Amino acid sequence: MLNRNLIEDTLNAALSTGGDFAEVFVEDRTNNGIVMIGGKVDSTMSGRDYGVGVRIFKGFNSVYAYTSKSDRESLIATAKKAAAAIEGNQANKILNLEKSDVKNINLVQIDPDSIKKTQKVQFMRQAYTTAFDYSDLITQVTVSLTDYTQNIMIANSEGLWREDTRVRSRLGISSVASKDGEMQSGFWGPGASKGYEFFENMDVDYYAREASRIAVTMVNAKYSPSGKMPVIIDNGFGGVIFHEACGHGLEAAAVAKGLSVFTGKIGQQIASPLVTAIDDGSMPGEWGSYSIDDEGTKSQKNVLIENGILKGYMIDKLNARRMNMDVTGSSRRQSYRFAPTSRMSNTFIDNGKSTPEEIIASTEKGIYAKQMGGGSVNPSTGEFNFAVMEGYIVENGKIKEPVRGATLIGKGTDILTKIDMVGNNLMLGQGMCGASSGSIPANVGQPMIRVSEITVGGREGEK
Amino acid sequence: MEIKSLIEKIFQEGKRQNLGDMEVFYSAGSSLSLKVFEKELDGYSLSESEGLSLRGIYNGKMGYSYTEKVDESSIDMLVKNVVENATVIDSDDEEFIYEGSKEYKKVDTFNSELECVSETDKINFVKQLEEEALKLDKRITSVETCVYGDGYGETIMSNTKGLYLHDKSNVAYTYAVVVAKDGDDIKTGMAYRTGNDFSKFNAKEIAAEAVNEALSMLGAKSVKSGDYAVVIRNSAAADLLEAFTGIFSAEAVQKNLSLLKDKLNQQIGSERFTLVDDPFMEGGLASMSFDGEGVACSYKKVIDKGVLKTYFHNLKTANKDGVVTTGNASKGSYKASIGIAPSNFYVEKGERSLKEIIAGMDSGIMITELQGLHSGLNSISGDFSLAALGYEIKEGKISRPVEQITVAGNYFEMLKNVEEVGSDLKFGLPGESYIGSPSLKIKKLAIAGE
Repeated sequence: MLNRNLIEDTLNAALSTGGDFAEVFVEDRTNNGIVMIGGKVDSTMSGRDYGVGVRIFKGFNSVYAYTSKSDRESLIATAKKAAAAIEGNQANKILNLEKSDVKNINLVQIDPDSIKKTQKVQFMRQAYTTAFDYSDLITQVTVSLTDYTQNIMIANSEGLWREDTRVRSRLGISSVASKDGEMQSGFWGPGASKGYEFFENMDVDYYAREASRIAVTMVNAKYSPSGKMPVIIDNGFGGVIFHEACGHGLEAAAVAKGLSVFTGKIGQQIASPLVTAIDDGSMPGEWGSYSIDDEGTKSQKNVLIENGILKGYMIDKLNARRMNMDVTGSSRRQSYRFAPTSRMSNTFIDNGKSTPEEIIASTEKGIYAKQMGGGSVNPSTGEFNFAVMEGYIVENGKIKEPVRGATLIGKGTDILTKIDMVGNNLMLGQGMCGASSGSIPANVGQPMIRVSEITVGGREGEK
Repeated sequence: MEIKSLIEKIFQEGKRQNLGDMEVFYSAGSSLSLKVFEKELDGYSLSESEGLSLRGIYNGKMGYSYTEKVDESSIDMLVKNVVENATVIDSDDEEFIYEGSKEYKKVDTFNSELECVSETDKINFVKQLEEEALKLDKRITSVETCVYGDGYGETIMSNTKGLYLHDKSNVAYTYAVVVAKDGDDIKTGMAYRTGNDFSKFNAKEIAAEAVNEALSMLGAKSVKSGDYAVVIRNSAAADLLEAFTGIFSAEAVQKNLSLLKDKLNQQIGSERFTLVDDPFMEGGLASMSFDGEGVACSYKKVIDKGVLKTYFHNLKTANKDGVVTTGNASKGSYKASIGIAPSNFYVEKGERSLKEIIAGMDSGIMITELQGLHSGLNSISGDFSLAALGYEIKEGKISRPVEQITVAGNYFEMLKNVEEVGSDLKFGLPGESYIGSPSLKIKKLAIAGE
């Protein structure tokens, strides 16, 4: 994407004031997006993102500069401007760059750019029709289809020089059901690190019906009761609870500075012995997967928690220095506009031994969260909140009527120890995760789990 | 000017490929962000970037495309993508390329003094911010985030109907998040300032505010679940308004995604509640003279004493409703197609201070922070159930800090139950819009806790 000579000169300019590490990141990405509302294509956008980021370390200090211009003059000028923030004299010259190939773990069969938009629209129309025809209560359906091809190049002063191509595809179906002047919505958003074959092989009717089913169920639902109670969280996107409540606290960005509640707790029991949690960016074709991370390190499987004991963190280069630990292939960024840092990829609680039927049957009274919405967390205090998109009352071991508007709140450390049942039906769910290095695709996941007690917020009082 | 001739060439190629009216939107900018942790410059980021988008009419439909490689090599791809994208559009709504308004009010969004502030002064400022916060109280163990940043941006809008508009602005921001520890109890507190006058940033004042927020929450506990009279403090009320901003968009109304449909000129809120969109507000960080379609912006009351007066319109939605656009077309960036957004959007302030409002309450909860706003609410139904922090109010006074609660209600019902509007109008962090609110006293909301 840039020739060797220019990369080397840029890296040397970056090191000219005494930096001890320099890195160049080049991104050339094509984006396509189509939105269909009410069965009609409402907007389409395509475009090309292009830019270069230069990063320099000196000790724990880091400097980042980016530009959307890639001519020699602009690149050297950007590197020099960044270097100006470092004080000192050039101590390091870069080694000879050696280009190394890394096997692409996400094999794409059909290049999304080779498919005509009219064909993509036809596919979206099927999703729309199935979702809209699901029930008379469905009043609006929005379908979106996005795909992108991101070509990146990373080179650094340690001699690393790697390129990668990342293709991702995602469908979004949002159904709205209306009744008596009230509206409720349901959403499904399957995505993968795959090309157009992802859509061709997808059972789109299933997702369309699910989105509408959730909306219809919720428009007929009563408000959720509130108070402390056992909560069963189903598989798939339910894993957002672990992502928010614990995952962010295991990112080196929070751990290295002592800002995470999990700092210094390696080897300690931090969760129920039933909990094993993993972050694995190397799962072929998954939404949160990549062959190399945004620092050029190969992705790998990282065990975070094993049988309740904290085993490891997700670590990027800068924080690896602070923590005196190895990188874990977890450094990510939204685009060249962001300096990378430790982030999650595909993060999930691993399978346990209980069946979903057993978990429900052994719950006397509580809430069953079948589909979770999003949530957020304060990494310093560990306080989190999640919205329940589709919830039900559980009574005497049976799932009863649906409830809407439930929110789960608590502290990550408490929840981890209060997981008292873990199912055997692990599934992943797709989301976008926002943090300091931007918004990135990430999978959450888990089998069905039960938490013995969570504070449920809702509009109805305790029952 | 180089960009002008590039735009001409794009229009020529568009004509050659049978595009009708066309418009180019160009933006360029630079930014700086400084982060300090334990006296060290922990993050330093600077940027220079540009992007250009083209939209044009092909067979009666509008197509869009953009590029960040702003040179002649992108012309072909830009035009081809516009054609392909226009071809698949089957919405019947007509989109317009605008010939220009008669008059544009000048707004002051650029402060040349900000461009002259030295980097050393900025670094010293952010270091001082951390230092001040740490020395205020022993229980402050770290400043989790301590940031100063600023940015400059300019945009050009040019179309084949002869419109040529140029705009530039700059803004600076700073914020600190402090961590307070007392035994096992950990709390955070945040304070921020925005604006384009660097001399108004006072590190001592910001540090004190963040430290006070954190310390006053130490020892917080939950409360008993139930219905409470609630005061939503200014910044939290602004956050809530921001989350529900979409319901005022005519596009949402026309697409059956807003319950404000058929509610124009009806009483939808308390008489004390007035909602204003003022693109010319002094110091407003979303001030602008023209909107994303090149239409002159205008001042409007969206809700006047509880009565819904208008939706936000762009040319497309206004044409559909047979009204005049309100000048609220948004073009978030060159990557975005035309949408709808307010400018400086706020609840008009009332007479009484927050203290006076609290003094008038026997008991209740004051909410200072709402969490999970992107997930814990349904902007269509208006239902929300959000994790919150705040204080318990007893006999007209703040009695203790409160955590691990959720506050739940329905935004449309809440608007009717606004009993008092404070005098303490405060704006949130600026995005595409700049959204503010004074503290609001609500008759009752459901609190879930113990």
